[in-house]
Amino acid sequence: MSTQKKTELEEFEPNIIGFLCNWCSYAGADLAGTSRIQYPPNVKIIKVMCSGRVNPMYIINAFQQGADGVLVSGCHPGDCHYTHGNYLARRRIATMKKLLEFLGIEPDRVRMTWVSAAEGRKYADVVREVTEDIKKLGPMTKFRREKEW
Amino acid sequence: MEQLTLPKEKLPELLGEIGSKFELIGPKEENGFLAFRKINDPKEVNLDILLSRVPPKSLIFQQTETLFTYTKGKDSKVQTPKIDESVRVIFGIRPCDARGYDIIDPVFMGKKEGDYIDPFYTKRRNRSILIGLSCNEPDTNCFCTSFDDSPANTKHVDILFTDIGDKYFVEVVTEKGEDLIKNLSKIFSKATEKEGNIRKETEKTAIEAISRKMNTEGTVEKLNKMFDHEFWIEAARSCIGCGICTYLCPTCHCFDMQDESTLKLGGRVRVWDSCMYEEYTHHASGHNPRPSRMNRVRNRVYHKFNYFPKNDGIFGCTGCGRCIDYCPVNIDIIEVIDKVKEVNV
Amino acid sequence: MVENKELIRVVEETVSRDDVKYVIGYKRGTYGFQIKPAFAYSAKDAKEFFYSPLCAKNLATYPLLEEKLPLRRGEEAEHKKIGIVVKGCDSRAIIQIIQEKGLEREDVVLIGIPCKGVIDPKKIAKRFPKQSKFVDVEENSNDEYVLEISGTSHKIPKDELLSDVCKSCEYPNPLLYDILIGEAEEEFQPEHFNRVDELEEKTIEERWEYWEKHFQNCIRCYACREACPLCYCKTCMADLLEPQWVRRSVNLSENTAWNVMRAFHLAGRCISCGECERACPVNIPLMELNKFVEKEVKEMFDYTAGLDTEEKPLLGSFRPDDPEDFIS
Repeated sequence: MSTQKKTELEEFEPNIIGFLCNWCSYAGADLAGTSRIQYPPNVKIIKVMCSGRVNPMYIINAFQQGADGVLVSGCHPGDCHYTHGNYLARRRIATMKKLLEFLGIEPDRVRMTWVSAAEGRKYADVVREVTEDIKKLGPMTKFRREKEW
Repeated sequence: MEQLTLPKEKLPELLGEIGSKFELIGPKEENGFLAFRKINDPKEVNLDILLSRVPPKSLIFQQTETLFTYTKGKDSKVQTPKIDESVRVIFGIRPCDARGYDIIDPVFMGKKEGDYIDPFYTKRRNRSILIGLSCNEPDTNCFCTSFDDSPANTKHVDILFTDIGDKYFVEVVTEKGEDLIKNLSKIFSKATEKEGNIRKETEKTAIEAISRKMNTEGTVEKLNKMFDHEFWIEAARSCIGCGICTYLCPTCHCFDMQDESTLKLGGRVRVWDSCMYEEYTHHASGHNPRPSRMNRVRNRVYHKFNYFPKNDGIFGCTGCGRCIDYCPVNIDIIEVIDKVKEVNV
Repeated sequence: MVENKELIRVVEETVSRDDVKYVIGYKRGTYGFQIKPAFAYSAKDAKEFFYSPLCAKNLATYPLLEEKLPLRRGEEAEHKKIGIVVKGCDSRAIIQIIQEKGLEREDVVLIGIPCKGVIDPKKIAKRFPKQSKFVDVEENSNDEYVLEISGTSHKIPKDELLSDVCKSCEYPNPLLYDILIGEAEEEFQPEHFNRVDELEEKTIEERWEYWEKHFQNCIRCYACREACPLCYCKTCMADLLEPQWVRRSVNLSENTAWNVMRAFHLAGRCISCGECERACPVNIPLMELNKFVEKEVKEMFDYTAGLDTEEKPLLGSFRPDDPEDFIS
């Protein structure tokens, strides 16, 4: 049983949605690619103009539609293209993370990071960490939609 | 009508047997209230609480119904879900809730030749055998007697159980009920006349215990005359527009249709809707024929006490009292109808 | 102790003012321990007003339900005030709404009532079932509720019937009012909202089991939203079709999404009146969500809703030194 479970876990490839801001994190991901840094392919990126644009309901919706984890990434504090969008995002995601934890959703499933346009290596590290974390947690089915549509 | 008795201690045995042969639905306590759920173990059945919070209409007119699913693209397909048509026994339904089915039947099953017949409702209705349970101790806001109904009415169920002390008095009303009884082992005994009298006595006591009464006489005619009366503004003043009264009503049957889809697949679902919501009548053009709460509260009263009697010859209310029990602002339908009577037109 | 005579006098006075349209308060309900919102348009309507520990309903919902008809050309909007009877939590709801520019301070006249806590309607109905006539309850000086049912007088320790939210209330006195009836209550030491602590001690799986059980029952009647004085968005996200945030299908997934959305949108806004939980027809313990968020928001951002009309909204503002230990 235990070996079977282990192989199942090893085979489990998590589905992670990454909301990356256009100005820093997306460019960081781009840099990771152009620098040919190897990292797991589990994070599916959705580019948003700013991490402040990430409505915390996006996270809920991602889980409903089959995501096992969500990554939100923006510019470092003080670097936001829109001066303070990332500060607003920080408050919102912090509150949502706490709320999800209280409901019984593992807090590690939602991850927030600051990745600048120059941090291609950091982006690769983040993706590696997130993928590992969520692999350990297994699939997120608590409130996934049961219907295929 | 066959009259039988069943000793109370034999009830779990009976339910166990029904459960092993058919799908058994019964009242079960959950989070402090009663709900009709599939019964796997007869011990789960709770007969102490009078009414289920959500009426058993949800068993037949489901809150969410998938009408069909489809795939997109060149080889697109439309599929209708199959409905289980095997016999299902609903145990412990109260006479007023069973009457609720009879009231909304014409809506979904048609009244005359050529009317549209809703397959989902009809199939579920036909597969269900209702074993009713009379109410010995009616609750504060019960007023079924105001509609010529009784807490031990046999008219709307297939079999009716009445608690007469250490036994249940069992009345087999319909053929469906007879078939069911025939299918079961012989744990019933013939009822004696004395037991029949106890049953009548019990019903009488229960009727006397009902303290609230709605005077429905002349309501239809009065409502005919006061559609534009300012009374409705005041009646709706305290309404906050939640849907509790309609969602918990055994005869409310409004629904909304929605297409829910992803990129490749989709489905059309039918979900409960409520006339107490602003968006219920909101047109795509932006116009809303029932723009204010006054229109919406009026519509609820009219539908139950004017449109229903005019269309089907029956009041759209069973007197279960749920809308009075759970209204957060104490809008009391009995009081509203009383006040309607007082209005000068 | 609120004298009903005094209350009626103040309501009469307020409703007689030229700039006041009507006054909202409480009147006796049709059965049991029910109360009804009352509307006074003239001094004679004020007679039926009353206040007792049964008056739990938060009336701050009503000014925002006021329906404004479209104006004809040249017609001017009527600028008349609405009078409201407010307890501590109700006044905080008004403050929060004013802060969010949902109302102007000039739109309302607040008749403040120092509150000693209200009775949980579910608890008292369970204790004294089947009351087909209205029964009033009074509070005596020994922290007991006194009521009379068919000639017999009952005394019940306050603790047994008091609403859970009231036990942890920090602001029993109205924070914003025009007229205060009676004397302000002495400050008292609020209890912790125990139900949140109990849940927090559970494991993550147990917590989900708990909420799953409750969310499965949700019938999405949106009574929690309609009863809440702070859920006054013109179009709720739950009603939007494009984009559709929450599907209409009623199942665990959508119900969870709705309940998370509701709780999140009240972060830093909920003033803990407990109206949502009282209204919920399927006993979902919504205040546990609200109280938890309230606590976390206070710890993380040192923010409490409904105290100051000039405060900035929690999620629309920030401090550079907000905690970010969860960010890497």
